[in-house]
Amino acid sequence: MFARISGVLRSASRRRWLARPALCAAAVALLCGAAVRAHEIGTTRVSVLFQGGRTYDVEIVTDATALVEKLEASAGRSSPADTPPARLQSLLTGFDEKFRQRVKIVFDASEVRPAIAYSVTPGIDAASAAVAAIRLTGQIPPGARHFTWTYAWTFASYAMTVRSAASENPATEWLEGGQSSAPFALTSPAQPVDRLGIAWRYLALGFTHIMPNGLDHVLFVLGIYLLSGRARSVLWQVSAFTVAHSITLGLSMYGVVAVSPRIVEPLIALSIAYVAIENIFLSELKSWRVALVFAFGLLHGMGFAGALKELGLPRSEFVTALLTFNLGVEAGQLAVIGAAFILVGWHCGNRAWYRSRIVLPVSTLIACTAVYWTIQRLSL
Amino acid sequence: MPTIESERSPLAGAVLRSLVVAAIALSRAPLFAHDMWIEPTTFSPEPGQIVGVRLRVGHDLLGDPLPRDPALLNQFVVEDAAGRKPVVGRNGADPAGFLRVAMPGLLVIGYRSNPSAVELAAEKFNQYVKEEGLEAVAALRARRNQTGARAHEIFSRCAKSLVLSGSPSEAQGDRVLGFTLELVAERNPYATRAGEDLPVRLTYENRPLAGALVVAMNRLNPSEKLTARTGNDGRVRFRLRPGGMWLVKAVHMVPAPAGANAEWASFWASLTFELRTSNAAGN
Repeated sequence: MFARISGVLRSASRRRWLARPALCAAAVALLCGAAVRAHEIGTTRVSVLFQGGRTYDVEIVTDATALVEKLEASAGRSSPADTPPARLQSLLTGFDEKFRQRVKIVFDASEVRPAIAYSVTPGIDAASAAVAAIRLTGQIPPGARHFTWTYAWTFASYAMTVRSAASENPATEWLEGGQSSAPFALTSPAQPVDRLGIAWRYLALGFTHIMPNGLDHVLFVLGIYLLSGRARSVLWQVSAFTVAHSITLGLSMYGVVAVSPRIVEPLIALSIAYVAIENIFLSELKSWRVALVFAFGLLHGMGFAGALKELGLPRSEFVTALLTFNLGVEAGQLAVIGAAFILVGWHCGNRAWYRSRIVLPVSTLIACTAVYWTIQRLSL
Repeated sequence: MPTIESERSPLAGAVLRSLVVAAIALSRAPLFAHDMWIEPTTFSPEPGQIVGVRLRVGHDLLGDPLPRDPALLNQFVVEDAAGRKPVVGRNGADPAGFLRVAMPGLLVIGYRSNPSAVELAAEKFNQYVKEEGLEAVAALRARRNQTGARAHEIFSRCAKSLVLSGSPSEAQGDRVLGFTLELVAERNPYATRAGEDLPVRLTYENRPLAGALVVAMNRLNPSEKLTARTGNDGRVRFRLRPGGMWLVKAVHMVPAPAGANAEWASFWASLTFELRTSNAAGN
């Protein structure tokens, strides 16, 4: 139902929710105290692509039967039940002029007439409705600056995703049927590539991916630190972890390795639990521990890659961004170790009670948290 | 008790006229105040059959699918003689749920949503309040000098559907699901015979709601609506014809509770069922 939904969402946000259980838990706790707010989102999706500033390509994906019913009604006819997809496609094509009456593509103040192609495919299973994919294509008028979209063949809320060559990240706007989109700027002045700026930006993104956004990675690094107060132990483990996650981060970003987050994320949580539990039974570095931390590092690297993919990498500065993001992650990890050393290691690392009062309770707490995350991520 | 009856007219002519009116209605379909109803894949399943439970949002029974949304779903249940069970489904999927008909009889399907928030310009809010027969809200806004002010509202859906497996009997009946606003058919519509009234009761917080506008519309003829105001006992009676799918709906609005960050809270009750041609034919 209802009117305007404001706000432009960036695609990066959604999976980060899933990958950040601590934040999710906090959000759930907050939401429990307030009414849940969501809009009635239908099955219609609109994707807009501008290519080279010359052409536009709009794809509407929607429930074919629901659309044909509305078109039939507006033509003063009723729609027969259980119409097969081929017939729906032929009906849609026949309703071309009527369909156009409630779809508007406007560049600046001028409405354009796109070429429209209709196709209808059966649903993914017997229970699912047939899906209409409607493509509206044409030339962008020379000198046009803004694009505005209106689609009035749906009653539910729908997402419109706009991509253009000038923009690295797609912009998503939630709209109601009949509501016009905000004007989308087509032209942005060409920006010279600022390598230093990109390096700095991705360094900061890598750092903040650990501190403060990556509580799971923080706990893993703390687990590494807590094994033994000796610098040799920390150095070996951190080096193994760093080499390993750099390998999988790079391989994942180049598409050589691809493992579903549904597998990686629970395993990351499990690796934290393992390291913390081992701290309870082990107080010095063993060679297998370094090997395990290396293996876990491979997993965490895939997790970092998932986050980096959400952030998006500029094609022209792919390597710069990848390296500096990894450096930022390293800096974040070192900051965690540095903070732990300053807070407890410096003063208490050599005390007789350090293990019983610091290492064991903190490791137990980390292990419990990580087991909880593992279960939670498996259920997502 | 108010009773409204549709006009008798040759079916084909009536359908054609109403579709033309529907066409006009669609072209003027507002950006707000859409109905929401349950539309099962069949109203007459066989015992053992799996029924898809589709949720629809729209206007004059022209609807768009609402996939299952865990953020919105508060209750999604089916109740039969054996008791109440959840309507299961996959998040993001349409139909939003599925149920298996365990035994012959009347099944009561219910969907209750969590509240959604909306902000409306004064003019749109006033128009929609008028369309839904919420004069008390308009009067209260006028008393508060808010008629020209934007309105912040939270709205919740309370949709029900009646599905019959097997033969109808008077012993079968709709069930109270305990929704905040609820329409309850006081006779089995599948057993309602030609020329008989279907009494429907509207309750708000489990008490009869008086003076509320209740609207009934048929799938073949949605623009020719039957309307009635509930009496003190919350009842209206509709003499329904023709056969086919019917939607009965009502909206109730109250001042929003403190802390809701809205001035108004609305509840949208709907009830769908099928009037079998054999019942309606004798009308």
